[in-house]
Amino acid sequence: MPPAVLAESISKRYDDTVALDDVSIDVDGGEIFALVGPNGSGKTTLVEALTGTTTPDSGSVSIFGESPTSVEDGRVGLLPQSFTPPERLTARELVTYYQGLYDDQQRGDDVLAAVGMETEDDTWYTNLSGGQQRRICVGITLVNDPDLLFLDEPTTGIDPAGRQSLWSLIDDLSAGGTTIFLTTHYMKEAQQLADRVALLDDGTIVEVGPPTDLIESYGGGTHLLVETETSPEQLSVLEADVEPTEDGIRILDVATADIGRIVGQLDTQGVTYETLTWADPSLEDVYLSLTDERIDENRPSREPMTAGGRSR
Amino acid sequence: MSRTSRVTAEAGAAWRTFLRRRTAVFFTFGFPLILVAIFGIIVQANPAGGGLFGHPTSFYVPGYLAVIVLFTPLSRIGSAFARYRDGNRFQKLSTTPATSREWLAAHTLVNIAIIILASTVVLGVLELLVDGTIGLSPLLLLFIILAVVVFCGLGAILGRITDSQDGVVAASNAIALPLVFLSETFVMPERLPTWFRPVIGLSPLTYFSRGVRKVTYLGQPAWSDLLVLAMFAALVFILGASAVPQE
Repeated sequence: MPPAVLAESISKRYDDTVALDDVSIDVDGGEIFALVGPNGSGKTTLVEALTGTTTPDSGSVSIFGESPTSVEDGRVGLLPQSFTPPERLTARELVTYYQGLYDDQQRGDDVLAAVGMETEDDTWYTNLSGGQQRRICVGITLVNDPDLLFLDEPTTGIDPAGRQSLWSLIDDLSAGGTTIFLTTHYMKEAQQLADRVALLDDGTIVEVGPPTDLIESYGGGTHLLVETETSPEQLSVLEADVEPTEDGIRILDVATADIGRIVGQLDTQGVTYETLTWADPSLEDVYLSLTDERIDENRPSREPMTAGGRSR
Repeated sequence: MSRTSRVTAEAGAAWRTFLRRRTAVFFTFGFPLILVAIFGIIVQANPAGGGLFGHPTSFYVPGYLAVIVLFTPLSRIGSAFARYRDGNRFQKLSTTPATSREWLAAHTLVNIAIIILASTVVLGVLELLVDGTIGLSPLLLLFIILAVVVFCGLGAILGRITDSQDGVVAASNAIALPLVFLSETFVMPERLPTWFRPVIGLSPLTYFSRGVRKVTYLGQPAWSDLLVLAMFAALVFILGASAVPQE
């Protein structure tokens, strides 16, 4: 069986801007695949290339083994970035409208139930909350009962409750067998939802893999974040590696059992701090680590410092 | 699901959306009535006295109708185009079986319905003003439908060329105002420089005005004007549909 999505060496330029540079990915059926990257990294261009709404300058794309423009319309659903449907239609009318554009459709009640909008079906889109609006937008993409769903930054601009609600919906869709290609710049979203993650930076895929594998390979160890004005060079007694952060310092490789000892050493040195946060490495650490490497290729690397200012 | 069903779905959504914008409804029907009030009641025609309105009021029926068939589709389709583009709805539509021609056909149908209603209101008011001397014929309906098709297509082209709703409004005004005064609606060719008169024949609105005047005022056959307008409609519709993003 061909992969749900296969892109081989695709590139796309807009005038002098390279939007995609030799990008290759494959997504298996039933997978949640997340494409993460900052604004302007090329995520939306890649989605457009995969859905056939833009043509790559080079390379090839196939969806279920066919070109994006030849694949049966009913098999693919797309929620474009910043999508806004007609705002003065009710949730049910929006579902009915988009149903009317397809040959085969799911029942409207089933779509509304799938996105948890049965009780708000008679409310105009413009009067729904941000989370409900995104849910009905996802509902619109489900009217043709797609096997593959492209969600381009579905949670951008909505509140945490709305985001959680949408995550739960995406999980449910995946459990039902739908392949999901998700783009986001929220690393936590990708880490929580995705089976595999591709990190995109400046139009190039930096790394692909399951979030846990990426974190293990590139995320570093557990660490203690200290919000302080003290610099790493002033921490002569600290028996650990330290690196500067925007708000203070990061003490590396701190196990939970070591927290008390480290705090004692900070107190001994008279270090004042606002907050102490112990954290597991996350996908965000992976992303920063990998993209920093790329950014810093042509300049001196930012090496972690040991206490007292020694370079590790 | 047939093409008809897709057009019906798109048109249904557009119709409901229009009806729920109260200000849009008010001004769509209010604007031509304001025009009739100004030029038909306040300024008044003066058949014996020359000047801009040197013919009877019923002579200017094509002008009043021209304003409706020109301004409304141009600005409505242009604005709809901008809204679809800004909301990434075209991108969404491009992953459905709906085509650009179906999109334009659906929105043209909605405009035809709106403009037939607005024209009926204006004709009713004018009939009261001129004591029922306006000649009514099914041909009038055909002229209105074809003119709406022309200016819906042109609205789509404007929507493609401009990059915002503000731009669409400015561009449609810039095109519509000269057209409405240089297409034998209110200003007759004899009032224009001789060298300019051939240009009038390039405006589709000229054939609308001539034909409608023949039907409503002169009582003459207007098939040749209808044919030219139909050719304009076919051409501009195809160009307009090709302006709708589909990739």
